[in-house]
Amino acid sequence: MLYLQLLIDGVVSGCAIGIVSISFSYFYATTGIFHVAHAGIYTLSGYLAWWMVGLGTPFAAALALAILAAVVVGYLTQRLLYRPLEESGATPLVLMIASIGLLTVLQNVVAILFSPNIVQFDLPWRLSHTAIGPIALSLPQAILGVLSLLLFAGLVLFSHHTAAGKRIRAVASNRELAEITRLDPKRVFAQVLAISSGIVAVPGVLVGVDQALQPYTSLLVLLTAVVAMIAGGIGSLTGAFGMSIVLAVIQSLSVAVMPGRWSVAAVFGTFILFILLRPEGLIRSRFSRAI
Amino acid sequence: MTLEARNVVAGYGDKSILEQVSFTLQDGETLAFFGHNGAGKSTTLKAVVGLIPVQAGEILLDGERIDGMPIADRLERGLRLLPERRGVFPDLSVKDNIDIVARRNCAGSGSKIARDDVYELLPMLKSLRGATAGAMSGGQQQMLAFALCLLGSPRCILLEEPSVGLQPDLVEQLFGTIREVCVTLAVSAILIEHRIASAMRIADHVMIINSGRLVFRGTRAEAETINLWDYF
Repeated sequence: MLYLQLLIDGVVSGCAIGIVSISFSYFYATTGIFHVAHAGIYTLSGYLAWWMVGLGTPFAAALALAILAAVVVGYLTQRLLYRPLEESGATPLVLMIASIGLLTVLQNVVAILFSPNIVQFDLPWRLSHTAIGPIALSLPQAILGVLSLLLFAGLVLFSHHTAAGKRIRAVASNRELAEITRLDPKRVFAQVLAISSGIVAVPGVLVGVDQALQPYTSLLVLLTAVVAMIAGGIGSLTGAFGMSIVLAVIQSLSVAVMPGRWSVAAVFGTFILFILLRPEGLIRSRFSRAI
Repeated sequence: MTLEARNVVAGYGDKSILEQVSFTLQDGETLAFFGHNGAGKSTTLKAVVGLIPVQAGEILLDGERIDGMPIADRLERGLRLLPERRGVFPDLSVKDNIDIVARRNCAGSGSKIARDDVYELLPMLKSLRGATAGAMSGGQQQMLAFALCLLGSPRCILLEEPSVGLQPDLVEQLFGTIREVCVTLAVSAILIEHRIASAMRIADHVMIINSGRLVFRGTRAEAETINLWDYF
């Protein structure tokens, strides 16, 4: 029974990491920018929702406003940070360092404006549980699982079946041609970062509701998400989402057989083993960007 | 339309590849552009379309200087580039490739070549609509790349090795289409091509570049009286 409960916890946790992973992957595969500040937007959106709920805003509205704020921050990050740097000839390493700088700024802004301490949402329903047979699932976990699956399916459908999604894939697969066929890659990059940021706000808020918020822990979430993206096959949303669940389940189940502090090591050990055996990742994407 | 390059110097970073390149191209004319690998042919086309900056000299389109313009503005004025081997969006189907470029380039009512027109000009694409571009043969990809280059209202098409990967019969078909487009729609073309005999058949003018310098410029008739290999 314990194993079943840990499995379900792992799946839910994996869904949240999966959304971080696909949103990071979506931007990275399109632009080649290693957007570490994604973790900062994840944190910022959680705290914004927490602050609005504290002011009496209904949770659904707070979530929607946090998503909107993340979209704006993402869009402005591309327009005011990455784009000027790219236009001045910055290398990918410089862009990544700039992104780390932005992450530091966002984390500290959150700590100064809201709180540097661990905070929890003041929502009575966050502690209510549903029992499905022997499995206990908290309401935030259930919402997180369902919304994550919907977001994943929505992003895949958007990417493959809408004109805007196909345009993004076109830019991702051949930037120079996109430039000379007037697809305006720079505008597309800003749109992709806005979309990615809006998506990552959902786990940013809901994981905070389920557990708690802390300004400086999101980098570990992002690291796990990036590991899942690489193991899943860069450029494959399905691979990134699937591997996020696999890694989270391994982390969750490892607690039953080894001390909890080794659970992260179990994830990274699995990753090293996986990437040695299958360096191209779970799903080989023929035309994706190589890391 | 007149495309004119005057003493153009261009290259990558601080390094100059082109040295004082000058030429003129009128409406409906086709210019065959020859030279060995690394001589500066592709650099010339990239400088014209704006993918690399012009370090000195001028590029004019209908008398208007375009060498300082963003790429989008040059494309708006009808310049098109078919890049060698990288002319398709590999992750998308043929139909999606055409649709996505047509949506951007054929938006106005005055479009010379709409999305249905390219299927008529290049019939082999009809049966490939659902194929993933990156999974097609090199020749099929070249046909699609040429189609993308034509969409909208092209006035001057810059073609980098359009026959790469094509079977001989398709080469003649492609060159025939290039000629047809140029003559019927008054589109001019610069054609970089290693199949010299095929390119000469549709060219009005010939230009040869060697180590960044133009070493021959003349009409096709003039080019036919000399041994072109002497200039390589």
